[in-house]
Amino acid sequence: MSVLPRSLAAVSSPAPLEVVDPDVGTENAIDRPWIVLVWNDPINLMSYVAFVFRKLFGYSKDKANHLMLQVHNDGKAVVSSGTRSEAERDVFSLHEYGLWATMQQD
Amino acid sequence: MVRFHRPVRREGDHFAVEFTEAERALVSSLTAQMRHLVTSDSTAIRRLFPPPYGDDAERNAGYDALAGTELVDRRLEALDVVERTIEATELSEDELLAWMRSLNDVRLVLGTILDVSEDEPLVPHPDAPETAAAYEYLGFLLEMVVEAFDE
Repeated sequence: MSVLPRSLAAVSSPAPLEVVDPDVGTENAIDRPWIVLVWNDPINLMSYVAFVFRKLFGYSKDKANHLMLQVHNDGKAVVSSGTRSEAERDVFSLHEYGLWATMQQD
Repeated sequence: MVRFHRPVRREGDHFAVEFTEAERALVSSLTAQMRHLVTSDSTAIRRLFPPPYGDDAERNAGYDALAGTELVDRRLEALDVVERTIEATELSEDELLAWMRSLNDVRLVLGTILDVSEDEPLVPHPDAPETAAAYEYLGFLLEMVVEAFDE
């Protein structure tokens, strides 16, 4: 299944997205991975959220259910991590499925 | 004996769908409204486009410039599939995924309009009881779709 957004894919190699803001540009800012968070919301069904985690990330039923319950009980869960453009792709796919996803540098 | 109406079932590599005319009419009407909403600036669709960088307005704007239109296009493409297959009795996996995403989008919009919260039961607005009914029905339908994918 293709989940690669065309616009994001098109810019991921020359990488205007990879530029690190000078104000956060500490020595190791480039190396720190980005994490993707999914936040609890009162509308999405629990079974649907777990299904999306399996579909998008290929997680097992156990892992997907565990993450879904973490979202439900703790208010949020880290569902993936990677480079900034990888995180943006994951966020895009999660938004495509209607989940409340954000990203931040770990 | 009560026959439990199960509208979606896996059958090998595709899915058998069995909707009543009323159900198809409801889905058709909701997705048509969605098509207009998704390209509008209505606050009812805010839940469909969450800001990825939290409070960082500058980065959110940058992301939106890159991916915002694409996200709208993906939603319109999914709605196209639903409209094209509204009378179908058989759906491929990709088609059912498009149905699932579209129905969930509609449910997110209805939930936003109804101001759904986890702490309080859903109270139908006296002027629009059908909004709450559609919201509940879509919840049932989505459970059935997820269950069919799990078969």
